[in-house]
Amino acid sequence: MEEDPFEEIVLEPRKKPVVWVVYVLLFAVAVPWYWPTGYSGHAVMGLPLWVAVTVAAVILLALWTTFVITHYWRDSGDEEGGE
Amino acid sequence: MITGAGETPLAFGPGAMAVVTLYLLSMVGIGWLARKRRQSDNLDDFYLAGRSMGFGVLFLTLYATQYSGNTLFGYTGTAYRIGFQWTVSILFMFSIIVGYLLFAPRLVVLSRKLSFITPGDYISNRFRSPVLTLLSTIVMIYALANYTLAQLKAMGAAVEGLTDGAVSSAHGIVALAIIMVVYETLGGMRSVAWTDVIQGVVLLTGFGVLLFIVPPLGGGLSAAVEQIGRIDPTKVGAPSLEVCNTWISYILLLGCGAAIYPQAIQRLYAGRSVRVLKRSLMVMAFMPLTTTLIALVCGVVGIVALPDLGGASTDQVLPRLCALIMSGSTAGYWLVVVVFAAALAALMSTADSALLSMSSMFTRDIYHAHLRPHSSEAELTRVGKISSWIVVAILVVIAVGTDKSLIRLLELKFEVLIQIVPCFFLGLYWKRLPAGAVLMGMIAGLVTALGLTWTGHARVAGFHAGVVGLAVNFALCCLGAASSGRSDSIAERPPSSGAGWSALSAQVGE
Repeated sequence: MEEDPFEEIVLEPRKKPVVWVVYVLLFAVAVPWYWPTGYSGHAVMGLPLWVAVTVAAVILLALWTTFVITHYWRDSGDEEGGE
Repeated sequence: MITGAGETPLAFGPGAMAVVTLYLLSMVGIGWLARKRRQSDNLDDFYLAGRSMGFGVLFLTLYATQYSGNTLFGYTGTAYRIGFQWTVSILFMFSIIVGYLLFAPRLVVLSRKLSFITPGDYISNRFRSPVLTLLSTIVMIYALANYTLAQLKAMGAAVEGLTDGAVSSAHGIVALAIIMVVYETLGGMRSVAWTDVIQGVVLLTGFGVLLFIVPPLGGGLSAAVEQIGRIDPTKVGAPSLEVCNTWISYILLLGCGAAIYPQAIQRLYAGRSVRVLKRSLMVMAFMPLTTTLIALVCGVVGIVALPDLGGASTDQVLPRLCALIMSGSTAGYWLVVVVFAAALAALMSTADSALLSMSSMFTRDIYHAHLRPHSSEAELTRVGKISSWIVVAILVVIAVGTDKSLIRLLELKFEVLIQIVPCFFLGLYWKRLPAGAVLMGMIAGLVTALGLTWTGHARVAGFHAGVVGLAVNFALCCLGAASSGRSDSIAERPPSSGAGWSALSAQVGE
C-alpha cells in the first residue's frame, strides 16, 4: 500500500465547505454592490458609511481567518502539541 | 527633484542623511552577520535559510515582502485619483491570505518531505514535464523582473527627492541596487529575512506615523471627506456595478496571483514548522488594516491638502504631503525621516526578495535542470550569487532608461503570473489533472491575457485581462482532466532525481 504524502494533515480548510460559504458571504458584504451608485451615507469615524461597512467586513474576514487557521488547519504536530 | 505644495522642496539635512546612510549600511552589516551564521554551502541554506525561520522573522519577512514601495507611493496616488473607490486595496491585500489557505497546507507538507527550494521544484515533481516547468519558470522570472524594475525606479525617485536632486535618480538606483545585491549575496535568504525584520518594523512604524501626521493636513479625516463630497462626490460615493466587477477582479487577481509569488512560496518553505507558518498567516490577515487602509486615508486627505496634482505627479502625493509636514516643525521633519526610511525599507525588502527568488529559479530550474545537471551544491550556490549580480545589472540598465506607471507595471506582472495558479490550486488536489492540460491552459491563458492587454482591452466588463485568461486556463484544465480518462499518467513517467516522489505524487489529491 502506497504512503499518503499528506497523512500528517488532520484537517485542512479546503475540505470544509463552511469555511468557503462564510468567506463568500463576508466578501459579498465587503464588495459594495448593494449600495446605490454614488451613495455615501453618514460618516462613521470619518469614513463614508459604505466604506465603514467594507472595513468592518475586512475585520470580520481577518477574524474568521484566524478561526479557520486555528480550527480547520490542523496537522499531527498540533495534535501532539509540539512545533 | 520632488517638491511640495508651493514648490516646498523635500530635502533632508545632514543629520537626516546621516541617519538614512547609517540605516542603509546596517543592511550590509546584517548581510555580513548572516554570512557568519550560515550552516553549510548549499542551496537549502542559501535560498531558504536552512528552513529555520521562527515566527517573528517569518511574519516580518512575509509582511515586508508583500507590502512594497508601491503600497506607499502607488496606492496613495491611486487613492488621490479615485478616492474611496480604492478601498478595494484593503480587500485585495486581504484576499492573498485566503489564496494561501487554498494550497499552502498541502504544499508546505510536500516541500518539507521533498526538500523543495523553488516553486519549479514542485511543478517539476508534480507534473514531470520539463516544458511545463521551464515555461512556468520563465513566466515567474518575467513577472518578478517586471516587479523588481518598478521597485528600482521608485528607489531612484525616493533618493532624488531625499537629496533635493543632488543625487540623480540613476545614481540612486545604482547605489541602492549595489547595497541590496551585496547583502543578498553575503547571506542569501538569511540576510534578506533579517533585513526584512528591520525593514518590516520600520515600515509598520512609518505607517503608524502617517496615520497621525497626515489627516490634520486636511483638517482631520471627517472634514476632508466632507469637503471632497462637495467638490467631487464620485470620490466618496459608492461605486457602480461595473466598478464592483473590477473589485471582484482585483480580489481574484491578487488573491490568486500574489499568493503564488515565487518569493512568497519560498517563505512558506522556509518556516521552521507548520505551526510557525500558521501563526504568521493569522497576523498577516490583519495587516491590510494597518497598512493599505492608512495608504488610502493618506491619498484621500491629499485630495484636500494638495488639490492641484495631476497626471503622473499624483504618484508623488505622499512625498508632497511629507514636504508640507517637514516645513511645519522639527518634530514633523524627523517623523518624515522615519516615513522615508519606511519607504526605502518597503522598496528594498520587496526587491531583494524578488531578486533572490529569481536567482534561485535560474540556478535550480534552468542552470541545474537544463545546463549542468551534475553540478555540485557549492557550484550552484556560486552560480546563484553570480546570477544575482547579472540580473541586477540588467534591471538597473532598464530601470534607468524606462518610464512607466507603478500601478501599470504591477498589473502587467499579475496578468502573466496568475496563469501559473492551476499548477498549485488544482494540481495539489486533483490527481486527474495531466501536465498537458495544464500546459495548454497556461499557454491559452497567457495568449488571452496578453492579447487582450495589447489590443487595448485591459479590462472586459470590469474584469482584468489576466482574470479572463485565467478563466480560459481553468476551463482547459478541466476539459483536459475530464478527457484524460485515467487517474494520472504518473505511473508511466520516467524516473527522476526526486527520490520517492512517484510514490508520493500518485497520492496527491483524491
